[in-house]
Amino acid sequence: MEAAALSRGFIILILVLYIGAAGAGRPLSPLPSKADDDVKKPLQTSRPYNFAHRGANGEFPEETAPAYMKAIKEGADFIEADIQATKDGILVCTHDVNLDDTTDVAEHMEFADRRTMYEVQGVNITGWFVVDFTLEELQSLRAKQRYAFRDQQYNGKFPIITFEEYISIALDADRVVGIYPEIKNPVFVNKHVKWSDGKKLEDRFVEMLQKYGYRGSYMSKEWLKQPCFIQSFAPTSLIYISNLTDLPKIFLIDDVTILTEDTNQTYAEITSDSFLNHIKDYVMGIGPWKDTVVPPKDNYLESATDLVARAHALGLQVHPYTFRNENSFLHFDFHQDPYVEYDYWINKIGIDGLFTDFTGSLHRYQEWTSSVSKM
Amino acid sequence: MSSSIMGPPCSILFLLLLLVARAAARPLYPLPSKVDNGERQPLQTSRPYNIAHRGSNGEIPEETAFAYLRAIEEGADFIETDILSSKDGVLICFHDVTLDNTTDIAHRKEFADRKRTYEVQGVNTTGFFTVDFTLKELKSLRVKQRYPFRDQQYNGKFKIITFEEFIAIALDAPRVVGIYPEIKNPVFINEHVKWPKGKRFEDKFVGTLKKYGYKGSYMSKDWLKQPVFIQSFAPTSLIYASNLTDSPKIFLIDDVTIPTQDTNQSYWEITSDKYFDFIKQYVVGIGPWKDTVVPAVHNYLQEPTDLVAHAHAHNLQVHPYTFRNENQCLHFDFHQDPYQEYEYWIQKIGVDGIFTDFTGSLHIYQEMTTPPHPKDGGNDDHVMSLLHKIALLVSPYEKV
Repeated sequence: MEAAALSRGFIILILVLYIGAAGAGRPLSPLPSKADDDVKKPLQTSRPYNFAHRGANGEFPEETAPAYMKAIKEGADFIEADIQATKDGILVCTHDVNLDDTTDVAEHMEFADRRTMYEVQGVNITGWFVVDFTLEELQSLRAKQRYAFRDQQYNGKFPIITFEEYISIALDADRVVGIYPEIKNPVFVNKHVKWSDGKKLEDRFVEMLQKYGYRGSYMSKEWLKQPCFIQSFAPTSLIYISNLTDLPKIFLIDDVTILTEDTNQTYAEITSDSFLNHIKDYVMGIGPWKDTVVPPKDNYLESATDLVARAHALGLQVHPYTFRNENSFLHFDFHQDPYVEYDYWINKIGIDGLFTDFTGSLHRYQEWTSSVSKM
Repeated sequence: MSSSIMGPPCSILFLLLLLVARAAARPLYPLPSKVDNGERQPLQTSRPYNIAHRGSNGEIPEETAFAYLRAIEEGADFIETDILSSKDGVLICFHDVTLDNTTDIAHRKEFADRKRTYEVQGVNTTGFFTVDFTLKELKSLRVKQRYPFRDQQYNGKFKIITFEEFIAIALDAPRVVGIYPEIKNPVFINEHVKWPKGKRFEDKFVGTLKKYGYKGSYMSKDWLKQPVFIQSFAPTSLIYASNLTDSPKIFLIDDVTIPTQDTNQSYWEITSDKYFDFIKQYVVGIGPWKDTVVPAVHNYLQEPTDLVAHAHAHNLQVHPYTFRNENQCLHFDFHQDPYQEYEYWIQKIGVDGIFTDFTGSLHIYQEMTTPPHPKDGGNDDHVMSLLHKIALLVSPYEKV
């Protein structure tokens, strides 16, 4: 009798623990190398940040685990990702709303009927959309290199990863590596994906960060242990989450012709002194497209605009995107030399961080030109 | 002027002087900066040579004065050129036997009837040949950038220069800058251009060097004052030239499928131990195409061949060609980063010189990793000067 009651109790305990665990969304078991946190080499803060844009995607298909691991190996300060949601509400790392350019979805006959057309930021796009696939279905796909002129040898090898998997890669690094996730296409995602508790992409996004202990304002002790910038093109998303977390946020700014997806504001408006004055209560920096900071003409740089000066005057950092080694992306002033481009932006324009597809090249440049005293 | 007293004898004297001057083909008047020779920063010899292939042609149309001036500004150890000939036997700096790809010849109606088809190294080639144009005619043309993906802004601005003008640019530099001229297509040139007194292309080539004081074996005092490497794909031209000058020579080696133009020998023959044993009597090194030294498959490097080891065993230097920044010229191992390519070839393969289209990039790489004069007590000075050098590269060429 006693044994039966005991075993029943035991079973109930197990059940309770299991349900409790499932309900709480127990964090992934920390990997061994995370153990000695205090011993980990800290984040460098004496020179502009090296942001591995979508991982080392100059070499590997973007936003895959190897792309991030290679970026860490190459010296990234932060690994960057774009966060969207699957049909079943799981947050994943992928840049485009559709899967056409970066996966082998077109070769999967079982999904042939999922091809459709949606309006995204006022533009009709046809393809296979992330929001129409469950996580399980997405992970049956394989990533491919987006650009034909980059290394194709890893096509078909790696799956899309979740926000959670991406975080564990950062936390598992043998030195402190920051994360730089983007709340991507929140208007579109929130339109197509509904969570049963009425929460939105922004809520799920911040929850995940908090689950893994990301917190603290810029340069606080907690932040330095687990550095994180949250980025978005949508000002309302950033303002919304500023009520949920004091992690530093960066306001991304698109090309001069593109309106913000949520507030329909123009480039001129969101880069005006008055807007920057307003947004600086919520963000600590901006992330502009570099050709709007120093516009080119016939592939030559013209005079720099005053955007950086005005941002700095308001105490806002500037993290322009995106730096790429290929000569087709380098204006002639740089003579097809990516290091000369880095030098110009770091020493002449004076920015605070760079989104690069070639983490290794930026790291080399910075290591070779660093000196004991700050420049 | 009181010509009545001077009269006829004066004019005869004048005429005489004129004739003498012309016959002697007086060297170009030395430019001012050449004067203080003793003050000039010497050639660096502590790390692989930065050889500005056709000048800084990544930025400026190849083999023009500006391309060479830019290369010198960017830190080249040597400026490189290809020597061909005009119809009237003047040696010019020009790479192709035809003018089509790098000049505006196609727009020159006055020369429309000069198009020809000649056999060049066994291949029938159609175009406008330098050997069919006098120097004056060549000078009426304007050079353009060969590659469409490079800077086109200087097209139509610069002329073809002569060997002598090229030499003057090197001698005029504010520091010691070597020259690296090639005896180019000698078989073809000697077939189409005849010089008086039975002189050949090779004679005129060496004659020009000697006229400007280029002499001395490799690393001799004379050589260090005016460094020079003579290069050619044609072994007989190099052997012939070695009877005329002890200036160091480099034997160029083409791709594995191309036989030598003069002796019809295969790649395998001219890279054999036996051949190296022979040719090393005449040359101090070889200049191979880099994809034959470390072959690539599907744009990935394979195992290096033993060519460099063999050459070094015979005391032959290795100067591979050609290094370019553009990603389509970089194997994937280098991740579209030209500095990683330099690092591989200098640190891993161990070459002695590099032909590059991007003098500035190679110079920055070398300064970053092997500064010639490391400073004592802190890195700051060197880093500042390096940053300054890099910053100089971002320039709109205001001097033009």
